[in-house]
Amino acid sequence: MVDKTKPVTFTFNGRAITAYEGDTIASALYRAGIRVLSRGFKYHRPRGLMCVAGHCPNCLVDVDATPSLRSCMVPVESGMAVRSQNAWPSLERDIMNVIDRFSSLLPVGFYYKTFMFPRRFWPHYEKVLRNAAGLGAIDPDPDRFEEGRGHHLYYDKQYLHTDVTVVGGGPAGLLAALTAAGQGGARVTLIDENPSLGGHLRFTPGPWPSLAADLPAVQNLALASQNRSELVAALSGAVHDHPAITVLTEATAFGWYEGNMIGVAQGRRLIKVRAAQLIVATGRFEQPLVFHNNDLPGIFLGTGLQRLIHLYGLKPGRRALLVSGNDSGWQVAADLLQAGVEVAMVVDSRPWLPDDPAVRQVEAAGVPIKSSYTIEAAHGRQYVTGARVVQIDGNGQPLPGTAVEIACDVIGVAAAFVPNNGLLYQSGCKIRHDESLADFVPLSYPPAVLGAGHAVATDGLEAILLDGSIAGLTAALQWQQSTIKSQRSTSNGAGATRQPFDEQSAKEQLTGWQAQLTQMKRKPAEANASNQHSPALFSIASSQKKKFVCFCEDVTEKDIQDAIAEGFDNVETLKRYTTVSMGPCQGKMCSLNAIRLCARETGQSVAETGTTTSRPPFTPVKLGVLAGRKMEPVRYTSMHQQHAERGAHWLDAGQWKRPEHYGDATAEVRSVRERAGLIDVSTLGKIDLRGPDAVQLLERLYTNRFAGLPVGQIRYGVMCTDEGIVFDDGVVCRLADDHFYLTATTGGITTVYEWMTWWAAAWKFRVHVTNVTSAYAAVNLAGPKARQVLAKVCDLDLATEAFPYLHLREGAVAEVPARLLRIGFVGEMGYEIHFPAGYGAHVWAALLAAGREVRITTFGLEAQRVLRLEKRHIIAGQDTDALSDPMGADMAWVVKQAKEEFIGKRSLAWRNGRGLQEQLVGFVMADSGVVPLEGEQIVAGEQLIGRVTSARYSPTLGQSIGMAWVIAAKAHEGADITILTHGEPTSATVTCEPFYDPMGERLRM
Amino acid sequence: MFQIECPNCGPRSVTEFRYGGEVNARPDGGDEREWATYLYARQNLLGVQTEWWFHRMGCRRWFLARRHTMTNEVLESYWP
Repeated sequence: MVDKTKPVTFTFNGRAITAYEGDTIASALYRAGIRVLSRGFKYHRPRGLMCVAGHCPNCLVDVDATPSLRSCMVPVESGMAVRSQNAWPSLERDIMNVIDRFSSLLPVGFYYKTFMFPRRFWPHYEKVLRNAAGLGAIDPDPDRFEEGRGHHLYYDKQYLHTDVTVVGGGPAGLLAALTAAGQGGARVTLIDENPSLGGHLRFTPGPWPSLAADLPAVQNLALASQNRSELVAALSGAVHDHPAITVLTEATAFGWYEGNMIGVAQGRRLIKVRAAQLIVATGRFEQPLVFHNNDLPGIFLGTGLQRLIHLYGLKPGRRALLVSGNDSGWQVAADLLQAGVEVAMVVDSRPWLPDDPAVRQVEAAGVPIKSSYTIEAAHGRQYVTGARVVQIDGNGQPLPGTAVEIACDVIGVAAAFVPNNGLLYQSGCKIRHDESLADFVPLSYPPAVLGAGHAVATDGLEAILLDGSIAGLTAALQWQQSTIKSQRSTSNGAGATRQPFDEQSAKEQLTGWQAQLTQMKRKPAEANASNQHSPALFSIASSQKKKFVCFCEDVTEKDIQDAIAEGFDNVETLKRYTTVSMGPCQGKMCSLNAIRLCARETGQSVAETGTTTSRPPFTPVKLGVLAGRKMEPVRYTSMHQQHAERGAHWLDAGQWKRPEHYGDATAEVRSVRERAGLIDVSTLGKIDLRGPDAVQLLERLYTNRFAGLPVGQIRYGVMCTDEGIVFDDGVVCRLADDHFYLTATTGGITTVYEWMTWWAAAWKFRVHVTNVTSAYAAVNLAGPKARQVLAKVCDLDLATEAFPYLHLREGAVAEVPARLLRIGFVGEMGYEIHFPAGYGAHVWAALLAAGREVRITTFGLEAQRVLRLEKRHIIAGQDTDALSDPMGADMAWVVKQAKEEFIGKRSLAWRNGRGLQEQLVGFVMADSGVVPLEGEQIVAGEQLIGRVTSARYSPTLGQSIGMAWVIAAKAHEGADITILTHGEPTSATVTCEPFYDPMGERLRM
Repeated sequence: MFQIECPNCGPRSVTEFRYGGEVNARPDGGDEREWATYLYARQNLLGVQTEWWFHRMGCRRWFLARRHTMTNEVLESYWP
C-alpha cells in the first residue's frame, strides 16, 4: 500500500519528515520514530497511536492551521505543516502535565465542585481554565486563504440520489453493492472512509472461505486463488468498474438524517446522499481494556498493529506483549512475528487456547503463552517500557502472587469489538444487547434501512459475505417494490423504464441464503460456553488510578465509580456528569466500557443498563464542510450598471441591491420638488392577475373596492390578514374586465404572491396569478417638469385631460412598449413607467437624456423616504407592525366595511367596535435640528405613550418631521408630545395632515 | 429533511416547500368565539394531519398533504 519509490516531505512541529505515498501523517510519524503524537485533554499525559483507524482521539493534530484532524486518516501531502496541539512548550515537555500529579484536585465533575469559591475569584479561575481547556486553536488569519492551504478554503455541497446507498466498503458492503447493482438492477452509491476498499480484509491476511465462491458477486470475479488480498482487489475492481455503482472513498458518512439522508464529508465537500434504500455495513471498533496506564504510547489495539504492519509496512516495535481475549488476538501475534517483532508473551484471559492456525504459529515460534492471564498495568513515562500480567480466576479477579513482569516496547490489546452501529441507531433501528453473545444485535429495522456484517454483529468472513449479499438483494427488492408502488400512484412516472427484475427468483434466492446464514451464526449457548468471562472482561479489580475509560476527556475507572457512588447511576446522566463519550471519539473507544462498568457497579446486566443516544455527527466533521457555500442570490435591476456609473451608494433591500443615494440625498429631494427626478423602482413587486374570478379575488383580498374600477384606471389598495392587520399595500391597475396589473412592496411581494395564490386555491377561483416582478423594469419619473421630460420620448398625449391622475396608459417610451401609471408616489405629478426588463438601461438613459435640459436628477431610496414622509405615506412593515390595523394607521378610508366579504372584515368590525387604542400620526419637532431615531420612545412623565417609526429632516419644509404611534389621547392635531431623542426629552407637535401639499394639488396637475 | 411528493413535480426535499399550516376552515357566520378559534387556535395534532404546502422552489402551486406530525411520513398529497 505504501509506495517506497515515491517519497513525500512534510514538517511536524517544524521538523522535516520524509514519508512515502500511501502513508498517512500518523504512519509517517511512526516511521520517523515519533511515538508521542498528542497530549491528554485534562492531565496532559503523553498519547500515541492506538487504533490507527480514526476511531480514538490520540493522534489529533493541526494540519496547515486546520485543528484536530485525525492524523491516521489524513494522507501525507508534500509541504504540509503538521503541528501538535494541547502541549506547551513542546510535545515532549508539556508543563501542564503536572496536573497529572495533582489529579486529586480534579475529581469527576470538578467543574461543579472546585473553582467555585470564593465566588469573586471566578474571573481568575475562568481565565486559567479557559487557557487550559479546549483542543486545538483556530487561526483566523485570512492570509491563509491566499496561500491556498489551511482552512480558509472553498467548501461546497453536492446532492446525490441513489436507489441503494451502502455505507462501508468492507466485505459486507462490497457484496451488498455488487448484489444490489448486479442481480438487483439498482443504482448504488458505495461510501467508505478509507482511501481503498476492502475494510478489515486489507489488514487481516488469510484465505477466504470456499463457500463464498457460490455467491454470484464472487462467482463473476473468476478468482484464481483463495487469497484474501486477491479477493479484495477483484471485488474492489468490480465495484469501481460497475456502471451502476458510484464509489466515494475517503468519504465519511457522519450522520443519518430524516428521509434516509446520509451526511457525507468528502474532502472539502458535503454530500447529502438521499438513499431510497440504505445498507449500513460500517464494520466494528476494537475496544481497549481498562488497566493502569492503559493510555501510554506504545499500547495499541490489535487491529491497530495489524494496520501498521499490513497497510504501511511498518515494524511496530522491538518487543511486544500481546493481550488477548478473543481469537483475533492470536492472528495479531502471528502478524507481529512475521513483521520481525519479538513477541515477549501472549496472554489470553480465557482458560483455554482456541483451535486456530495462528495459535499453532505462535507456539511454533516458541513464544511464552499464558492462558487465564491478563494485563494489570503498563509501565513507562513517555512510552511503554514494560507491563505486569496477572493470573485471573473464573470471575476475572486477579490471583495474588501470580504477577509476572515483562519488558516490552509495544503492547497489543485484542480483547473485544463493538459493532459500529451509530448510523443504525440514528435511523431508528432497535438494537438489543444479547447477553449470551455479549454483543449488540438489531431487533428490527426501520423502513428502507438494513445492516450487514460486523455492524450488526455478524462474525466470520463466510457469514459476512453472505450477510452482505442478503442485504444487497433485500434492498434491491424493497426498492423495486417501492418504485412500482410510486409509479402506480403518480401518472407521470418519469424514467420508469428499468430493466426487468424477477421478484420471485430474488425472493427464493434470499430464502436460501438466509437459511445458510442462520446455520453459520454463532449459537448463543456455544458462544457463552466458549467466551466465559471474555470478551465481557474489560477490567480487573485494582485500586490504581490511571485506568482510563475515556481517552478523549480523560475519564478514569475511578471517576466513573465515584460518579455512580454520587448517584449518577443511569448511563445518560453518568455520561453528562463524567463527560465520558462526549469527546471527539463520540464513544467509539469508551461507550462499551463505560456501560459495562456502570452495569458492574450497579449490579445490572448490560442490556438493563442500556446505551446512550447516538446523534450525528458520529465522526468529527470540519466546520467548513458544514458551513460551506450557501446559495444567497443577489438581485440586480436592469439599470444596475448605470447606477454604479453614477456613483450609487448601495443599500440591501432583501436580495436586491438598490441605490441609497448618488452622493447627496438632500439635493435629490430638492430636484424632485423643484424640477424632475428619476428613480429605479424595478424591485417593486408586480403581479399579473387574470381570469373570470379576478375581480372577485381582489374584492376579497383588499379592504377596499375594485369591482367598479373602470378599465384604464388605478386604485391604491391595502391588504389585511384575517386578524385585521395591515400586511401590504400597492396599486391595482385594471387592464381589461378580467385582467389586472398589481404592485406590491419590494419586501412584501413573496408573501403577497403566496397569499393570493393560496386564497385562489382555497376558494377554487378561476384565476391566473403570475409574479412578473423580474419581467418588468420600472422607473418613477416625478416632479413639476416630469411631463415635459416624458413628452420628448413618449408618443402618448400627456395632457391632464387625456391622461389624468390615477389613470393608466399603454404607449411607447423611447420606442419601448410600456405601461405608464399616473400615481402620486413621491407627492409630485409623475409617471411610473413599467416596461420589459431587458430595456432597462436603454429607457433609463433615454429619460436622463430627455431630462438634461431641466437638469433632471436620479434619486435613491433615501430621497424617496424623505419625499414620501413629507406626504405622510406609510411604509408597510416600517410604520406598521404585526398589531397595526388600517384604522390605527390612519387609513380608515381604505376599509369598506359595507363590502359583502373580504379578508379581515370581521376582525376589523370588532376592532372598530372596540375603538382606537393608539394611532399612527405625524409629528413636527420643535427644534428642526433634532431628528429622533426610529424606535425612540414617546413619554409622558414616567409613562411610555408611543414610539417613533420614521423621522427625517425635510429640506423642503426646513423642519424635522416624522411618524409615530401614540396613544389615542394624543392622536389629535396639535397635541404636544415628548420624544426621548437619544435619551434626551425633546418636544414635538402632532399633526394628522400630510406635511406637504395636503390637498394633493400637485399630483393632479 | 424529509421528502414531500408534489402532485405536479414528484418527490422533493421539504426545503423546497413552504409550509402553509394545518387546514383551518374559515367560518361563515358563527359567534366571536368561533372566529377567535379560527384565528388563533390550532389543533397541533399528534398524528396524521391535513395541511397546506406550497412548492415555492418548484411549480409554485398550493396543494394539500396528509402528514404524520411525528414521523413526517407524507401519506398523500393532492390538489385542493
